[in-house]
Amino acid sequence: MTMTLPSPAKSVAKRDGDAARDRSTWLIDRAPFLIACGMLAVLVAIYGTLREGVFTFEELNLDTAAAMTLLLAATGQTIVLLRGGIDLSIGGMISLGTVLAATQFGGSPLQVAFAALMIALLGFAIGVCNGLLISVLRLQPFLVTLATWSILSGTALMILPTDGGQLPDFWMAFGNASLLGVSSSVGLLVLLILFWVWFRGTRLGIEIRATGSNQRSAELSGVSILRINLLTYGLSGLFAALAALYLTTQTGTGSPTIGKDYILPSVAAAVIGGISLFGGRGGMIGTIVGAFILTIIGNLVFVLSVSSYWQPVVSGVILLIAVLASSLAEKSARRSLS
Amino acid sequence: MNALLARHRAVLLAYLGMIVLLLLTSFVSQGFLSGSHLRTMAVLSAFIGIVALGQTFVIIGGGIDLSVPWVLNCAAVLVTLMANGADGPLIYAIPIALAGGALVGALNGFGIALFGVPPIIMTLAVNVILQGGILIYTGGAPTASAPPLIQFLAVGRIGPLPVVVLIWAALAVAATLLLSRTAFGRYLYAQGTSATVAEFSGVPTLRITVLAYTLSGFTAAAAGILLTGYTAQAYLGMGDPYLFTSIAAVAIGGASILGGSGSYIGTIAGALVLTILTGLLPALNLSNGALLVVYGVVILVTVSLASDAVSDFFAVMTRSFGRRDNAQS
Amino acid sequence: MELIEAVGISKRYGGIVALSRADFRADAGEVHALLGENGAGKSTFIQILAGIIRPNGGTLHLAGRAYQPANARAAEAAGIAAVFQELSLVPDLTVAENIWFRREPLSPIGTVRKRREREATLALFDRYRIPAPAPTREVRRLTLAERQIVEIAKALSRDPSVIILDEATSALPPRETEWLLQLSQDLAAEGKLVIYISHRLAEIRQIAQRVTIFRNGATVATHDTAAVDDETIIADMLGRRMDRLYPPRIATATDRTALKLRGLSVGDRLADIDLDLKEGEVMGVAGLQGHGQRELFQALFGVSRSRGAIEVWGKPVAIRSPRDALVGRDGIALVPEDRRSHGLLLSKSVRENLTLSVVPRFTRFGFLSRSRERALVDEQLRTLQIKAGTPDQLAGTLSGGNQQKVIFGKMLLTQSRILLLYDPTRGIDVGTKGEIFRLMRDLAAKGYAILFYSSDLPEIVNVADRVAVLRNGKLAAILSGDDISEHRILREAMVEARAA
Repeated sequence: MTMTLPSPAKSVAKRDGDAARDRSTWLIDRAPFLIACGMLAVLVAIYGTLREGVFTFEELNLDTAAAMTLLLAATGQTIVLLRGGIDLSIGGMISLGTVLAATQFGGSPLQVAFAALMIALLGFAIGVCNGLLISVLRLQPFLVTLATWSILSGTALMILPTDGGQLPDFWMAFGNASLLGVSSSVGLLVLLILFWVWFRGTRLGIEIRATGSNQRSAELSGVSILRINLLTYGLSGLFAALAALYLTTQTGTGSPTIGKDYILPSVAAAVIGGISLFGGRGGMIGTIVGAFILTIIGNLVFVLSVSSYWQPVVSGVILLIAVLASSLAEKSARRSLS
Repeated sequence: MNALLARHRAVLLAYLGMIVLLLLTSFVSQGFLSGSHLRTMAVLSAFIGIVALGQTFVIIGGGIDLSVPWVLNCAAVLVTLMANGADGPLIYAIPIALAGGALVGALNGFGIALFGVPPIIMTLAVNVILQGGILIYTGGAPTASAPPLIQFLAVGRIGPLPVVVLIWAALAVAATLLLSRTAFGRYLYAQGTSATVAEFSGVPTLRITVLAYTLSGFTAAAAGILLTGYTAQAYLGMGDPYLFTSIAAVAIGGASILGGSGSYIGTIAGALVLTILTGLLPALNLSNGALLVVYGVVILVTVSLASDAVSDFFAVMTRSFGRRDNAQS
Repeated sequence: MELIEAVGISKRYGGIVALSRADFRADAGEVHALLGENGAGKSTFIQILAGIIRPNGGTLHLAGRAYQPANARAAEAAGIAAVFQELSLVPDLTVAENIWFRREPLSPIGTVRKRREREATLALFDRYRIPAPAPTREVRRLTLAERQIVEIAKALSRDPSVIILDEATSALPPRETEWLLQLSQDLAAEGKLVIYISHRLAEIRQIAQRVTIFRNGATVATHDTAAVDDETIIADMLGRRMDRLYPPRIATATDRTALKLRGLSVGDRLADIDLDLKEGEVMGVAGLQGHGQRELFQALFGVSRSRGAIEVWGKPVAIRSPRDALVGRDGIALVPEDRRSHGLLLSKSVRENLTLSVVPRFTRFGFLSRSRERALVDEQLRTLQIKAGTPDQLAGTLSGGNQQKVIFGKMLLTQSRILLLYDPTRGIDVGTKGEIFRLMRDLAAKGYAILFYSSDLPEIVNVADRVAVLRNGKLAAILSGDDISEHRILREAMVEARAA
């Protein structure tokens, strides 16, 4: 038996080729995220040339406060999308959360804290119900969460037919509170990033991504799909409730219809940031970038003093660019590999 | 016969539910079954039914169209602005609006079939772009009112029958024929059942996808034009309720959201159920919120009844009952 | 007492017997080869060992104790790790994440200690000299060979006492194959048991001390590898067979070339195929699993991108999609490998399935003609003797054989005179198999040109007029006449041209 071993020189060349290919696939894999970062940088730069004082803490505080509700909603959505699902019910949960806060908060801080905790738990429980319906009845997430969205919105409307309600002053002061020039919103953003860095590294975080990537492989390795569904939709409901609580600190009222403004933007923020609707791919940092892109567009439209109606147009175009970029990147990656 | 029942179980359930609802409503509300009230409900159902027509095709083909609200709204605004209250300009305004809707649909189809953009994202992006576009164009406040001809189409009557219902009936016949009697329909079901098998069988998948979305854009635009006649003018946001109702009507009508099954007959039942519910709740003194809750519950229940898990469950039950019967005999 | 003692293991799926009286004894410290044709029961047996399925009968002992794993994890806990051909990796996780999936080293706050995980991965690679890709690469970007190696690394990471390699070298290039052969010997030297499944006799001779041969779900023999010659092994694998299944082979090929391939290549899986398929000819395509058969069929049907020249009935064509292939009488039709996901709409009727590729044939002025469709359907139901209650019965409710007939009917309706049949008899009953072979001969007599692959070698031997043997994506030989024998085909397909 004769076997020709490759000469050392050749194998080094091969390894270099591999490294180059690794680098290029690394780039292609992160192309959607990098493009999102690029778009955010361009938008901020434009914004910065149009207006004084963009690169200050004050501006960061303002923008973060403006983006935070969407960010919280999109965090839950990101977790569900990574699992390969979608959650439309967060719109209903956000409405219901603000309504409950506006009607059930008592006067004392203790009562408020208790009510807020209850709202958060309710969000988690409702999400768990979504997960249960999807798993047990083997229904499509899109339809299940569409139905629960309707139920939650209806419940919110029954509790509070029009915008209103009363929130204690100290609650509303929270959103504007600051420490050494850093607002509570920026603090929350840091917390959110820390949460994500922790969460994506946990075994659960990896199992969620694995399930979204290939449910069968995950199941063969012993992952319980029921548990994953309960937890992902539960977390999504929890974050929707948190988004609602944060929103009330900004608006000071309960609104039974406000939630629908966050459903599709939460998906859009995640997709712009590089999350694949097919599951398994992307991360929360991308979603944060996506949410800030959507927020800065609003600022730009304001500063340019053009019609505010440009905001949805630009958002839509950016969403299309992002998703086309990721689909083209995937195609080119396939081609370079074959 | 049994097989036929099983295959159309979802549609039959939808109609059964509709009849039960009607009877129920007639008990709690006097005059609910009067001619005038039934006519009103038929008219309201027609708007949902026409929007849901295109949605039915798209969902059967395995997609979803979230762009209907603002396609509808754009068509409504454009027609009223172009006509400016007069019937004369409608001769070009209506074709332009319908063609525009179809074009937007085709764009959706190309993005999805050619570039592999997920339908949810493609149609969502198109929806917000249209929303912004029409808001910018109108400055946020369109004023023109619907010309008399369109008002006639929407609220007029020929004999005892509302014109819009006749239009709906004609469209329904066309849609049913298209789905069950043409190559396009055959291909659409095949593609929705399995895009891979369709591809391996030589089905022109790109053309089919584009056609389905084109149709959806067309019917959304048509509904928008008719709706201006009903509300006497176009207003911004008039299409928003139709995103939910068009999908809900298709789902209640027994189509699988994964594609490959469903019929327009079923969607008609879905549109009627949604409208009757809307009429039922004021009679029961229930609020708008309660209506939404009921909508959600109805969707969950109908979709569950059509789901595999539930039919498996029933199959197991009947089999075990059958066995017991055998043992006894 | 040996490490693994399996006596009289049997396994039935419904009425089909996958395994009967399988005996297997193997000891620690050896490489033990398991051989048998496709369908001989090897896969079923190792799935039982790995805890994936449970046997219906027989006794199984591991190190002297009764061994009845409830699931795959129980088998892993008992020290048995299996590397299957159907890969179990998660595409969007990295190499390291996949290897340690659900066994990650955790920090006090519950997060994965990535550095330790990476170090453990590198230590693992180092310990077994695994030629694996970087631990940080995502699996979905790896080649088939790289994935196979990661799968092996994952099995090794459990430090098993028994390791099962199922056709592990079929996806590996020569250098990696050499590594795996060496590794198997090293593991055995460490006192582990390696159960090695392969069709490559040369490899088995190189590393295995003993070889056990399965045939038709039962053990035929266990030999010391050094004391047995190739002829005996092949004879044990083949056995003596009843050949009534096959219709008489009457040469019907003409001089007209139906399909002419020159330099056809697909990626790096199929290279430079030159082939002439004649009118009226049944040409078999043979080769070990994964040697380019699939790519050849996919390229001819426009599912894979190919390079090189294709001529159909003398005219050069470009086939970029199935639509380019299915062009009526001058077209190419395929009976695909995976009936359930490529061939049939399971939730649609037999009628709709049969006519899906020929809808324009019964469309008038845009409308379907039910009567014309009915005529086409009835004709196929009759000639193919499809046993469906009514044409409206759902395809998913038919038996495997009848499902396959529906696919045949669908392809025959296209009137394409070049047929590609990829493993058309897989998993169907003997009676229907016979019908399919007779149909193939009838079609050939009518002037059809047929390219036929089967995972069951005797079928090719008994049905084909000529046989093209593929090895490593290249055409190794074209056999005809008396040269067509299982022995000869196996030899052409298995003999490793080791010298580069």
